[in-house]
Amino acid sequence: MSPVIVQSDCVTAYGWGTDALWDGLMSGRTAIRTSRRFADRAFLSNQLAEVPELVVRPGESRAMAMLSRLLSPLVNQLDSATPIILATTVGEIEYVEQSVLDESPELAIRARPQMLLGRLKQWLGLSGPGLVFSSACASSTAALTRAAAMITHNEASSVLVVSCDAISEFVYSGFSTLLSLCESPASPFDASRSGLTLGEAAAYALVTRDDRASNQRDAVSVLGWGNTTDAVHMTAPDRYAGGLQRAIGKALTMAKLTPADVDLIAAHGTATLYSDAMEMVAFRAALAEPRPTFSIKGGIGHTLAPTGLLQTIIAARSLSQGVTPPVVGLSIPDESAIGWAHGVPMKLENADVALATNSGFGGVNTAVLLGKRSGK
Amino acid sequence: MIRSLAWFCADHYGLYSPARESFTRPTPAAEELLAIVNRPVKYFSRMTRETKAGLCAASLVLRDLAPDGTLRQEVGLLAAGEDGCVPANQTYFHDYVTAGRSMGRGNLFIYTLPTSTLGELAIALALTGPTMYVHADRAPLATLLHQAMQLVADGEAEAILTLWSNAEASVCMLLQRDVPGMASIKLPESGSPLEIARAFYDKVSAEASRE
Repeated sequence: MSPVIVQSDCVTAYGWGTDALWDGLMSGRTAIRTSRRFADRAFLSNQLAEVPELVVRPGESRAMAMLSRLLSPLVNQLDSATPIILATTVGEIEYVEQSVLDESPELAIRARPQMLLGRLKQWLGLSGPGLVFSSACASSTAALTRAAAMITHNEASSVLVVSCDAISEFVYSGFSTLLSLCESPASPFDASRSGLTLGEAAAYALVTRDDRASNQRDAVSVLGWGNTTDAVHMTAPDRYAGGLQRAIGKALTMAKLTPADVDLIAAHGTATLYSDAMEMVAFRAALAEPRPTFSIKGGIGHTLAPTGLLQTIIAARSLSQGVTPPVVGLSIPDESAIGWAHGVPMKLENADVALATNSGFGGVNTAVLLGKRSGK
Repeated sequence: MIRSLAWFCADHYGLYSPARESFTRPTPAAEELLAIVNRPVKYFSRMTRETKAGLCAASLVLRDLAPDGTLRQEVGLLAAGEDGCVPANQTYFHDYVTAGRSMGRGNLFIYTLPTSTLGELAIALALTGPTMYVHADRAPLATLLHQAMQLVADGEAEAILTLWSNAEASVCMLLQRDVPGMASIKLPESGSPLEIARAFYDKVSAEASRE
């Protein structure tokens, strides 16, 4: 029996809640805006997907501000022994910034990810095991696979996966330095794409044993997964997409499915020239025939660690609604993406299985297969 | 099973492997570290001290799997450490601020993830399995080893290297499925990377003096 995601929610630049994200993507309008947040810096771009109506109290991090509001419905609602996995790349990075700007190195200890984990456990009323998990921009999907493994091994009946990354001067300056940012909102899989847009977000997923799961809206089974590394380059993807192909192959093997069983793809789709091209090489090699493929990053930017959970949430909604969202910002598909990525919603017939993929710095790749609860 | 263990500290480094000759030696000067890795490594000189230490320790245990230097298995890499990447983050941001807050250094920014070191090790040692940082709030070393064992047991990798490091020491272990007849290593009940390194330093030194 496969582990099941029974409950999930998120906050993105479209607003608070999964409906806001789904409706925003389906509208085809981007939530990426021109931002004045770093206006006095000479960065390559001023585009940003910021979470609206975010109240950050003095001394609080943006990550904690997002998570405390997002997770408030779960406070004292879960079995206190429920394990929690926090997936993040930089966590409460403002404390590092502050430690440098104030020349107070001791402040940086507050940026340790387990400090955020401890605050979350206290906030949620959880006293079970807590893990910090990081695997670059595949962090939340990789964390989801470990949560699913814990369920499969009967180590827990439920595991809460939480993911968050905020955009700060630290993060924005770094991606600007790497020449990764686009001057206009990102356009994944478009022939004229020229880089990514950063966004901030938080998301969670509650994973349970199949026999404890009821058929809630958008509930999906985690059928199989694969985690691999390219071992080619620190920041550039493997142009032959060997790592992502192996990750997809492992996921199919674990799920006992064939490429023909995959009905839709929730792709990483950062809108950088090489990453999108690498993904299409992998999809074509692993699956051969086109199927509806979407990226959410034209709508909400690249949200780093949480991006995989957000893709999972939208893939689940796509399965339950029988339609994939458009790739926001896509007008003329790159030649490699023709027939796969679409700038309009794509209706699905009897779709049961979604593939979600992520790749990141250090050459990490993750593929997860999600199954409609009543499906294959 | 834990097949072998290597440590790397400021003053000594070494290997404990029941299948091979264990040893402990004084840590050489920085310019001689590449000899421990025993293979060409692109950009070795630009790596952080922690990355070099991890690479040296990983290279030592990996020889149990690839005695001829050619790795034929899919090996993953799991790391833990309470600092995460906070020191690297401070280094990047301090440099960026010092330079006037307009342009950072890409070579520093790419090390600002908890998995950055693992990415370098994966490239240098051709490790193509899962690469993850996992740090538990309770029994972090036991959790790291448990997660590694689970990945191997589930067939997600044929072997896993675990890297446990802090500012004082890097300890790397090679984990594989149980192999009948092959000796495994038992760890101390608890301990920091430095304490583990010391324990195995003492063990190897005691065995050497008996011989």
